[in-house]
Amino acid sequence: MSAALTVLLASLIGAAGSSVLACLPGLHVYNLMGLLVVFIHWLAAAGHPLPPEATIPFMAAMIVGWSILNTIPSIILGAPDESAIFTVLPGQKYLMFGRGFEGTMMTGIGSLAGVFLLIFGVGPLAPRILPIVQTVLRPYMGWILWVIITFILMSEWPKGGNVGPAGWRKFLDAWKSLGAGLATFFLAALLGFILLYRPPIASEMAFQNIMPAFVGLFAIPWCLLNLISGAQVPPQHVGDSVDVDPETILRSVAAGGLGGGFAAFFPVVTGGVGGLLAGHATAQRDERVFIMSQGVSKVIYYTGAFMLMFVPGLGLTRGGGAWIVRGLFTPRTWGDYYMVMAAIALAGAVSFLLMGFLTRGTIRLVARVNYRYVSAAALAIIILLVFAVTRWSGLAVMLVGTGIGLIPVLFASRRLNCLGILLFPIACNMTGIGPDIARFLGLI
Amino acid sequence: MKGIAHFASGVAAASFFPWAVAAARDGNPVHFILGGLMGLLPDTLDFKFYRFFYKHDVYIEPDPNDPNPQRIAEQIADAVRTAAREHRTVRVKLSTIRLGADYWQQYEVRFDPEANRVRVRFGPAVNTGQVPVPGSAPKEAREGSAALDVSLVQTYDATTRVDIFDGPTFAFEGQTPQRVVLHFLPWHREWTHSFTFGALLAALGGLIWGWRASVVMLCGYAAHLIEDQLGFMGSNLFFPITRKRLSGLHWMRSGDSLPNFLAVWLSCLLIFWNLARRTPEAAIYDFGLAHILFYGGLIPVGVFGLLMHWAKRWRPTEAEAPLEMADEWGDNQVG
Repeated sequence: MSAALTVLLASLIGAAGSSVLACLPGLHVYNLMGLLVVFIHWLAAAGHPLPPEATIPFMAAMIVGWSILNTIPSIILGAPDESAIFTVLPGQKYLMFGRGFEGTMMTGIGSLAGVFLLIFGVGPLAPRILPIVQTVLRPYMGWILWVIITFILMSEWPKGGNVGPAGWRKFLDAWKSLGAGLATFFLAALLGFILLYRPPIASEMAFQNIMPAFVGLFAIPWCLLNLISGAQVPPQHVGDSVDVDPETILRSVAAGGLGGGFAAFFPVVTGGVGGLLAGHATAQRDERVFIMSQGVSKVIYYTGAFMLMFVPGLGLTRGGGAWIVRGLFTPRTWGDYYMVMAAIALAGAVSFLLMGFLTRGTIRLVARVNYRYVSAAALAIIILLVFAVTRWSGLAVMLVGTGIGLIPVLFASRRLNCLGILLFPIACNMTGIGPDIARFLGLI
Repeated sequence: MKGIAHFASGVAAASFFPWAVAAARDGNPVHFILGGLMGLLPDTLDFKFYRFFYKHDVYIEPDPNDPNPQRIAEQIADAVRTAAREHRTVRVKLSTIRLGADYWQQYEVRFDPEANRVRVRFGPAVNTGQVPVPGSAPKEAREGSAALDVSLVQTYDATTRVDIFDGPTFAFEGQTPQRVVLHFLPWHREWTHSFTFGALLAALGGLIWGWRASVVMLCGYAAHLIEDQLGFMGSNLFFPITRKRLSGLHWMRSGDSLPNFLAVWLSCLLIFWNLARRTPEAAIYDFGLAHILFYGGLIPVGVFGLLMHWAKRWRPTEAEAPLEMADEWGDNQVG
């Protein structure tokens, strides 16, 4: 089979496979990619090595498909991952107004616009610009992370203290949510230190170390909230068109491209953080722009980070996907770069075409089955997956993560504070104080 | 301007100092953190601390079960007349109307100088994302108005929208029995937005982190004050020497997307330039500030501007949005 045909088939199969994966709440594409790498190594050891023209486009297509289609369970089943937390609140509002299909498709259009930006904007410019940017910024990554942490902690808006006479009572009411946000950040940071210095997950599953914590922090609180609140999803309108115009798309691409690009380029900065920065930087007030920009941001973050590994002259490994694939393949030529871009373009198109079909199917499911049962099923799948991959120790980590993840849900503070689990320990390590803190905590 | 624009400007201000860049390169981020922190601090002090202790003379708290626009208009007009009659400043707090866990009654307050009246108009119920709830818009106009009986001088926008979380504050300053000056958010941009207070904080910071940090802190703080001066409201720049806010330059509104984005983008370019010229590894590349501004600023912003110009043909022109308190801070209220 020719290399071109192999790339084409691998991309199509990867995109189709990710459509199944993306609709399962709680399962991250990186979890499956980690297991696939183990399988590919096993095949090679058995004398059946797979060529990179098959494995790399397949992996790229999986990432693209998942980052586009995972919006469906995030919005309609209410089980978001970290990078989707910004999409879910406005997205679920659309769902509760019977416009879940429209909200999902708007995010999908944003994702497709993100694929266009990657192929026609980032693709040609990255090899010229990014090596220069990387040369300048490489020595300063540590402080950039600290500055981002400072902004996250300072920029939350007080949600209480709105009525009544001036005084301490009003102040304390306002600071309930802010205090809960700070507590969430530092508890998550503490959990992050424990996972980094005393990982409880078995060493053979070390690449899944963070997965149970993320599931606990982000997905499970949402499922629990759906279960407890007993939300009833109204009948959904499945229209033939979506209320967007070129200006809305352009604004979304600008906001999401900046946020996702920032998250993809800088280490540890995730899609959620990118979304936050983009939303603030572009001062978006239109909810449609906000939803679509999160679709752009998510694709740029996941796919762009993976693509960076292939940019000639850059040699940058960012994001879990690139780190997993790095053990399989080292890109060397412009041909590798074009191969990945082709896979991204193909998978982006296929995933977008699948989006309407899969969203309709999920909406039909929610219409027929009580939303509580759907949330319970999503919760059960998530817990089973965590147990299957990381066993009892993973479940214990997930439970701790859930406890921390429930704080922002209960006190109406920012869920993004849960990212303290990554940001704080890594920032400490990058500036050399991580081991001192770990020693102080008795972890080493 | 929005918080992130101030924060980015503070970080950009820090990047101009060689000692900040050198320390960051050695793994010490304190100067950059202080720059960003001081850039955002004036608004943090106002919105997270001071406003909860600011005393008002009149609290207008509409009944969520029977919100009455006429009653609100009369209460506001009463406050204006009291200020004129008693020749003093009357501070009025307008509360939001919460209808449910995620629903708020939106209303607008407009001071009409030609008719010399205050008008209050009820809009739809909105969710916390400020999106109108379908079918909640009043079928008939729900509007109240009351005569002011005095000449009202406005220092800010004429229309204010009240919907989610906290409502705005007005201060009516009675100058003569016939003349009242209206100040929007009187607790905002007062002592916290002065160079003198910034200098005091910088001096305190200097005692902890040394004089170099002190200089960075002052510049981060000053960047915020200068940016705010470009808008409508202005600040009380030399408190306690000056007692009132200066008028702004009226070049932009705090919540406008474009100036906020440009401020963030320009800050990023300046940070990049300052890092590049102090990074020996980057010496192999031959570029200066002009190159960075041209290739990193003018070209992408120009291309985007052209595309937006083309795209706007598809969308009807929208009326200018009324003033909201959130414009002054700008959290997206989600996440």
